[in-house]
Amino acid sequence: MNWRTVSTEAKLLLIGIPVLIWTMLPIYHLVLFAISPKESALGGQLWPDHPTLQNFRIVFSEQHHYLDHFWLQMWNSLIIAVAVGVLTLVVATGAAFAISRLKVRGGRTMMNLALFTYFIPAAFLAVPMYKTMGVYGLLNNQWSLILAMVTIAAPYSIWVLKQASDKLPLELDEAAKMDGASPLQLFRLVYLPLMTPSLVAVGTYALLLAWNEYLYAFLLLSRDTQITLGVALGNFLAADDSPWELLMTTGLIYALPPAAIYYAFKRYMVGGLTAGAVKS
Amino acid sequence: MATVSFNTVEKSFGATKVLHGVSFDIKDGEFVVLVGPSGCGKSTLLRMLAGLEEITAGTIAIDGKVVNDVESKDRDIAMVFQSYALYPHMTVGDNMAFSLKLRKADPKVMAERVDRASKILNLDPYLKRFPRELSGGQRQRVAMGRAIVRDPKVFLFDEPLSNLDAKLRVAMRTEIKELHQRLKTTTVYVTHDQIEAMTMADKIVVMHDGVVEQMGTPLELYDTPANQFVAGFIGSPAMNFLKGKVKSNGSAGFEGPNGVKLPLASAPANSEGLPAVYGVRPEHFTIADDGAEAEIIVVEPTGSETQVFAKLGGEQVVAVFRERHQFSPGDKIRLKPDPSLVHLFDEATGKRLNG
Repeated sequence: MNWRTVSTEAKLLLIGIPVLIWTMLPIYHLVLFAISPKESALGGQLWPDHPTLQNFRIVFSEQHHYLDHFWLQMWNSLIIAVAVGVLTLVVATGAAFAISRLKVRGGRTMMNLALFTYFIPAAFLAVPMYKTMGVYGLLNNQWSLILAMVTIAAPYSIWVLKQASDKLPLELDEAAKMDGASPLQLFRLVYLPLMTPSLVAVGTYALLLAWNEYLYAFLLLSRDTQITLGVALGNFLAADDSPWELLMTTGLIYALPPAAIYYAFKRYMVGGLTAGAVKS
Repeated sequence: MATVSFNTVEKSFGATKVLHGVSFDIKDGEFVVLVGPSGCGKSTLLRMLAGLEEITAGTIAIDGKVVNDVESKDRDIAMVFQSYALYPHMTVGDNMAFSLKLRKADPKVMAERVDRASKILNLDPYLKRFPRELSGGQRQRVAMGRAIVRDPKVFLFDEPLSNLDAKLRVAMRTEIKELHQRLKTTTVYVTHDQIEAMTMADKIVVMHDGVVEQMGTPLELYDTPANQFVAGFIGSPAMNFLKGKVKSNGSAGFEGPNGVKLPLASAPANSEGLPAVYGVRPEHFTIADDGAEAEIIVVEPTGSETQVFAKLGGEQVVAVFRERHQFSPGDKIRLKPDPSLVHLFDEATGKRLNG
């Protein structure tokens, strides 16, 4: 190893260490609370004297009135997130294919209009969204949250998928057309397989967006048996004597599925699938 | 096996007209090359035949049946693209079988046809590979295989060799020609390379600015180009053009630039003093005592022949000699065109004047 590589490594460490501390600090506190007994949770120690998994036992067996529906709420979060991910994919893939490959007239304008909605902060749209859902009689129905989240996730997803579609060579469509493929066969047999990496990325994005959503979930759903775990976590703070160690434990558990999903799907998000299609 | 006919075919993209009434017929089993400079409309014409572009006006017929409103997939034609356009997520075998799968062909027939095509193209060791694992030439062969498997009425090639390196291009040229001799399928082949056109075609269609300049066999185009454009486009190095006047009183002749006297076998009737362009191919010059004086500028030996660039009557011309002369720049030589092989074009219209 010569001096040049040593200095490069040193520079990387100089950036890497602060970033690591920056990201790990909140997680460290989360873990610290989660393994501390109730009485020493707020003691300000760097590591508890008697680390315990007692908090996890309480959460998993729903032994606190804030946690009466822990598993159900976890399930709600999951089912809503998956539904949002899948629905967004269906909507966005169809739209991107129509705009980018079938060149539907006015498609680009539609996409730009949809993107324009991002100029309005989600918080401003909360009340209109609430009223709209009320009109359709969807309040206190999980579909309201699913539809709201698809609405929020779709424009960006369409845009990302459209950009990715534009990179697929047009000759592939023409070759498929000459080979006798109908637009639907082209979509299913050529377009979807080649778009897989982007689809995984966009699906994951929508899924995590819904999983992490608080505002709309809080607004559109109110029954304890319907709300997502994220909203339930917020409800912990309703009282003065919040059980911090249980809040943090539940928070830690709540943070695990996204991490798992990210790592599970990461390997699909690789590019280079179109290598060899056309001479570049 | 099919005939193809274009009847006053026109194409506009918005306000821009790119094809101005193209008409010609292709016989059953013929290998026709559309050639012309980029932007002449040859690819557009091919894509219209393929059904990838709308026909603005006129008709295109395959086997006597007008296909203007027939979808690509029902025209029974196969196309090989310049960029290969292989499906990257399918193996070579699946790429070739794709069209048959879409037609829900019998798996046995499918396997048979893929097997036959891969044997013809020497692709059988690669059937399980993906396009990204193949070289450029192999990919181009897969693209051809995909067309062969279909057993179509007409093969279309859109500049299929442009992406290959020079050596491979020559090899693939022979391979495509051999393939055509074997399958005898009517073929329309687009290229901007006149050597490809000359070597491969049964008939060449020279296009320029959206019109057909001339259609004929390679040697017809070479020997009797219909106009100055075709004369300049076909042949390498290109034909030399010298402006001047026809002399028909007394013995026929041509007065070139700066009064240079050039021989002419016969002059067209009533052409005394007619402004014209005198065309002579580089290989039709000989060194002769009664030739016109020229000063050598550059000598380029290629081994089999030598290209000599010289000033003749102030104009630069190129001559090609198979015999080895000892020339150096600055030398004065006497160049004599073979009068029987000289071309004469109208200066204003560019049309051929002699027979």
